[in-house]
Amino acid sequence: MSGRVFSVILLPTSECNVACDYCFEHKEPHRLSPALLPLLTKRLLDHLENEHIEECEIYWQGGEAMIMGPDWFAHAGEIMDSAAARRGRRFVHYLQTNLISYSPGWNDVIHGMFNGSIGTSMDYPNVHRKLFRGGAEAYTELWTKRLRETKAAGIEVGVIAVLHQASLEAGSGKFYRYFTEELGLCDFQVNTPFPGGPAKQLENDFTLDLSALARFLVGLFDIWIARGYASGVSLGPFDGLIDHFTGKQARLPCIWKENCSNQFISVDSKGTVAQCDCWVTSYPEYFFGNVFQEPDLTRMLKTSRARRDFVERPNRLVRDEDCLSCRYLSICHGGCPVRTYSALGTMMAKDPYCEVYKAVFACAEAHGREILRRRLARPWNRLTTSVAPVAE
Amino acid sequence: MSEEDYPSLRILPSALAEGQGDRPFVAIVRNREELCRWLSDPLPGLKWLQVEGTLGDSDAWTEAAHTDSDVSLDVVLSDPAAEFSDLYKLVDTCAVHDCRVTILARPGLLKAVKLAAALALPVRILPGQPTAEVLAELKEVLDFYLHAPTVEAAVEFFHSLLAITYGADTGSLWMILEEDPAAFFQYDINGQARLPRSNAFECVEICAAEFVEHHLKSLVDQGGECATCPWQQSCRGYFKWPDPAYSCEGVKELFSLIQAAADEIGRDLAGGTLANR
Repeated sequence: MSGRVFSVILLPTSECNVACDYCFEHKEPHRLSPALLPLLTKRLLDHLENEHIEECEIYWQGGEAMIMGPDWFAHAGEIMDSAAARRGRRFVHYLQTNLISYSPGWNDVIHGMFNGSIGTSMDYPNVHRKLFRGGAEAYTELWTKRLRETKAAGIEVGVIAVLHQASLEAGSGKFYRYFTEELGLCDFQVNTPFPGGPAKQLENDFTLDLSALARFLVGLFDIWIARGYASGVSLGPFDGLIDHFTGKQARLPCIWKENCSNQFISVDSKGTVAQCDCWVTSYPEYFFGNVFQEPDLTRMLKTSRARRDFVERPNRLVRDEDCLSCRYLSICHGGCPVRTYSALGTMMAKDPYCEVYKAVFACAEAHGREILRRRLARPWNRLTTSVAPVAE
Repeated sequence: MSEEDYPSLRILPSALAEGQGDRPFVAIVRNREELCRWLSDPLPGLKWLQVEGTLGDSDAWTEAAHTDSDVSLDVVLSDPAAEFSDLYKLVDTCAVHDCRVTILARPGLLKAVKLAAALALPVRILPGQPTAEVLAELKEVLDFYLHAPTVEAAVEFFHSLLAITYGADTGSLWMILEEDPAAFFQYDINGQARLPRSNAFECVEICAAEFVEHHLKSLVDQGGECATCPWQQSCRGYFKWPDPAYSCEGVKELFSLIQAAADEIGRDLAGGTLANR
């Protein structure tokens, strides 16, 4: 069995119970039928066998995944996990949710199928995530209530924050304090926005000044290093970058993979297969196929003309862009194809956030160097003629 | 004396390798079928596969990534300018097989080394007798290897030559680059033993173990550059093969740069030791 990792971003529905301004997804009333779960599972397991992969990570997202209800997930988990076990394979499940529909009725399936942890999203300040009736303020109030309920139930919660203009205006200090002090979180991450899909119509509202964004992120990095790094606060993607620059095995986000097409796909409730949730919900021109209509997922991925662009992208970037001369090619590899496509209408160009990433990488490199320097400078690490070096 | 007396590693085209059994060997594969054949059912004596002319075949690497065997791969780029970007095709394969990239020192070398380094792939540069243009590129590669902070894997022959300056016993350049006939015995498709980068095969089996020493002695006896070269011990006339008339002026500059880097590292280490007392 190979050591390769394979992930599936699985959208059991594209329906949603909230009305976020910047959502890139085309919403429609459709849910994955329980009757199709065995077939979907078989397609995935066949693919894992063809690829000699033992374990597959399933990232349940939406729309809003909790619309399906806890019983649906319990049933889905049972079907998928028992089928995998019969074939010597394993699924590991993760849930990403807006938390709005959370209730104690979810606790059993979260502690069981999702191993006691979930992911959710909140921005600071929240001006774009809204309830259908109630707006942003009501959304924030309800979400915060749900967050406290999940934490009281012993559930670990990781939060994704999407940056927008108001975040930059608030400043990195306030931003950091909101998540760590006001919400009491020790695990969150920041994402850059991209106006894809329907949000493209509001593009100008979400386009950030890149210099200001870079300054914000560098400032946030500095604050996290000073206050959170040694205190157990995990802030993605900064923690992964520090691991990289201090010589540890680093888990970096998908936007910086050598080629995301090697490692995951997305499947929606109708069986549509695409590169990730961003693509499967927004860009039909880049659909790979349909897992319920085509019997061989491996063959679909291998022969998909749309997928070939993803496979070829890093090859093209080192030839056509300046990525090969970049100090940080080994981390970045040209960045995210969907961010590029959303901004430029082609994925055969480097990520438009290139200069922002470079600023963050340089900051991470400097902090990493300082961490290593301090480790080497500790008295018990000095080499002397009479005392052997002590491993850290 | 026959080759049976020398425990050398035989480097053979795929078709000839089928009869090797338990004897240690390297199989040269030149297409998808050969690559997949050896990955799926390797003989016990197989040490690694030398993969030539196949880097651009995406299907070959898709299949390679599916195999369970622990066979290592040495992927050869003979035209780095044209092939370098195809190194991305190795990403999945490298997750399941140990991979190295061998790059012939030709135009495009720097691009290939940069991308190999970005993918954390060890590199072996085969310099041959480089032209002035390629020598200039070799110096750029050396500078990149020495100073780019994101280089993690070794780039031979720079890595071992640096190690030699600190007393490492890596052998000569011939051994570092796996071209010493005493240890690495190459065969062509007709089963004829060959000397590296040459069509010469007569009497190879008799002379293999002493080839490098005879070659160096011959150069020294002729009173040429090697006689007074400060890097004779580590080079052993590598750059005077196959054309003994090749001028080593540019190569000596390269050696000087490596020596200078070693001296600088030595000063930095000495300075650090003093500071910690």
